[in-house]
Amino acid sequence: MIADDKDVLRDVWFGRIPTCFTLYQDEVTEREAEPFYLLLPRVSYLTLVTDKVKKHFLKVMKAEDVEEIWFEYEGTPLKWHYPIGLLFDLHASNTSLPWSITVHFKNFPERDLLHCPCNSVIEAHFMSSIKEADALKHKSQVINDMQKKDHKQLWMGLQNDKFDQFWAINRKLMEYPTEEGGFRYIPFRIYLTMSDRPFIQKLFRPISPDGHTHTLGDLLKEVYPVAIANEAKRYQVVIHGIEPLLETPLQWLSEHLSHPDNFLHISVIPAPSD
Amino acid sequence: MAALGVDCSEASEVEGNNFSCQKTADSWKRDIIRQLKHRDKSQKSMFQDVIRSYISLLERTNQQALITKGILGSGSRHLASSSDSLPSLISKNDDLKKITGELAYQVVELQQEIRIKDSVLEGQAVRMCEVQRSLQGVQSDYGGLAARVAEVTEGNRQLKREYDALLERHHDMDQTFRVEKVRGQELLEDLIKRKQHAAVRMNSRNERRVRAREASLQKELETAGKLNVTINVKKRRGNSVCLSLQEDLYAPVGICVAARVPARALHVLDAHELGINAVRFSYSSNLLATGGTDRSIKLWDVKGGMLHNRGTLDGSNEGITSIEFDPTGTRVLAGSYDKSALFWRLDDSVPKLTLTGHSRKVTAAKFKCSMRHVVTGSADRTVKIWDLHRAACIQTIEVLSYCSDVVCSEFFIVSGHYDRKIRFWDSRAASCTQEVPLPGKVTSLDISPDHRQLLSCSRDETLHVVDLRMNSCRICFRAEGFKCGCDNTKAIFSPDGSYLAAGSADGAVYIWNINTGNLETRLPEMHSSSINAVAWSGSGEYVVSVDKSRRAVLWSDI
Repeated sequence: MIADDKDVLRDVWFGRIPTCFTLYQDEVTEREAEPFYLLLPRVSYLTLVTDKVKKHFLKVMKAEDVEEIWFEYEGTPLKWHYPIGLLFDLHASNTSLPWSITVHFKNFPERDLLHCPCNSVIEAHFMSSIKEADALKHKSQVINDMQKKDHKQLWMGLQNDKFDQFWAINRKLMEYPTEEGGFRYIPFRIYLTMSDRPFIQKLFRPISPDGHTHTLGDLLKEVYPVAIANEAKRYQVVIHGIEPLLETPLQWLSEHLSHPDNFLHISVIPAPSD
Repeated sequence: MAALGVDCSEASEVEGNNFSCQKTADSWKRDIIRQLKHRDKSQKSMFQDVIRSYISLLERTNQQALITKGILGSGSRHLASSSDSLPSLISKNDDLKKITGELAYQVVELQQEIRIKDSVLEGQAVRMCEVQRSLQGVQSDYGGLAARVAEVTEGNRQLKREYDALLERHHDMDQTFRVEKVRGQELLEDLIKRKQHAAVRMNSRNERRVRAREASLQKELETAGKLNVTINVKKRRGNSVCLSLQEDLYAPVGICVAARVPARALHVLDAHELGINAVRFSYSSNLLATGGTDRSIKLWDVKGGMLHNRGTLDGSNEGITSIEFDPTGTRVLAGSYDKSALFWRLDDSVPKLTLTGHSRKVTAAKFKCSMRHVVTGSADRTVKIWDLHRAACIQTIEVLSYCSDVVCSEFFIVSGHYDRKIRFWDSRAASCTQEVPLPGKVTSLDISPDHRQLLSCSRDETLHVVDLRMNSCRICFRAEGFKCGCDNTKAIFSPDGSYLAAGSADGAVYIWNINTGNLETRLPEMHSSSINAVAWSGSGEYVVSVDKSRRAVLWSDI
């Protein structure tokens, strides 16, 4: 069981998405730009892993034509502060692989994207997500008891793709006092494609007051019943590119299927019509 | 993904045998695990190899691009990927070749420039070396000069120190000199005082002697007065007859009866140190006085045909021009080049009187007949009359010309001049009564013992005799070979008035007979230079001639 759990953790960590980066055709180039293929890690962030992409395309461009890099998929600017796996599940999960992303160097969409000038911005965003998650889980006690070097180790583990280095510290964040039976609240976000608001986040306990373990189905029923209401199965509930059974315990999900930032990012997308 | 959901229940059945115990509880877990595996298979594994080989290929092409970029050295990028077509490759190759050629040319040019710049640099380096060398040279020179400067300043300081020391010594010497000078002055004053005292003493002694002589004379006179003697006292025109006892009395004048013409030299001697200008016999005795350039008058006695020195009269500061004895033969009057006339008594060798007042040499000094007065003639064109008692000049007669000789007669003064005239002066009126012109400069005058004739010797080698009574008749005497030796050649009468004697420039004495007018005799060979003066003794026996070369010759007839 524990070995299974460890395998799950490993599979989640080492998930990859094949991507084809194409330079936007209107960009000014000295020569024709070749598309760039890359396997992107699901759990990381776009701007953290696309240095090679940037270098590849900068070879064919003049320096004065280059501003901040940004990515879009089929017209939609991709938010770099969402994990890559979430972006794929949300926008392109049922399309043919590889995932085609268009690279832009000009006309940065100020209204849709945040600027990402350097990696320390990504680190700050990552660490704040962790702290927010721990605030929900442990009232921030665990994260505050950690030293600065432990926080640094979490970030370095993610940046350098080091599973063991990351989970050496992260397992502390997945512990809970046995009498509680679980976290205080489950840190989750539900992302919808057809909605004005970016995501749903609410307080939700993993154990009901009468000791009953809450499942994924309980969560959806509580927070977004539309997703499971239809018998026609119009929506898919996707985490990390898979659809967990609705009877999966929420506490287990939070422990094993969270992203490195300790959040359960759940995508609800319309089911494809076969 | 939908198919997965349908399959899950079936799959759970397949794998249910593996999980025996908690099948239902972990079915959701197994489902998840299965789904994950499926996902990875479809998403990851299929693309992994392709993408890996793609990335390695990409890197290799990047490497090649970098290499070609490095070779070309330019900014052109070239991706020789397999997807490029051949013609574009060829064109790119041609471009590269062209670029290589251009760059090679540029390289050659740049190397040329480098060479030029190198040579310029070398030149500059050479110049810099030279400049450095010259700088070193200059610096060493400067060092040397600085050392010399130091030396010189040191030397200067040394000299200054020495100078200061010398200055101090000089100062001290100066002090001592001043002190000594003061002392010297004091000593001098002392000496003067002593001399004055000595003079006073000498004066008193002289006076005592005079008084003694006077006393003895007085006694003689008294005894003589007791004798009955008739004395003829001639009346002098205008002259007062002085009855003072001593000097104004005429002594009896010895009269020569006959003069004897000398024939041979008795005695030849060098009488003085320098040339002899004047010679005179005393009237009454054979006492001779000679005087010349050596400033002293020597007295001689003729005894046994020889001249014996009897004494010297000093006191003249310069040469003697003329000598005269007074009629008594005890006093001597001399004229001197030192513008004074000197008067000695024969007892004293120091002059009793010095008559100063002429502004040039005194050429003649003669006693005036009264014996109280002296007449002097001078080159300053005056004739002065002096009073012997007062030793002062009582009259000055402007005679208009250099006076070379003066004689006195009872009535007038006769002077001879360089302007070839003889002038007669009335002593009282100081006016010229007569002028007698002569052919040449008058060198000397002499008056005959009877005061009737005047002899003049003139530079035209002639002697003239003037009759004083008649003032006219003149006889001129010449002789073959007679030449006046100088402007002061003296010619004389013989004591009896019958002969004339004069010395010639050829060193011979010439004697004329007045009465015949012819040369009586010529006495050569004793003198080697021109004869300045001659004197005939009162007795007529001896003639003495003196010449320029200090020789005196005594002549006589025997």
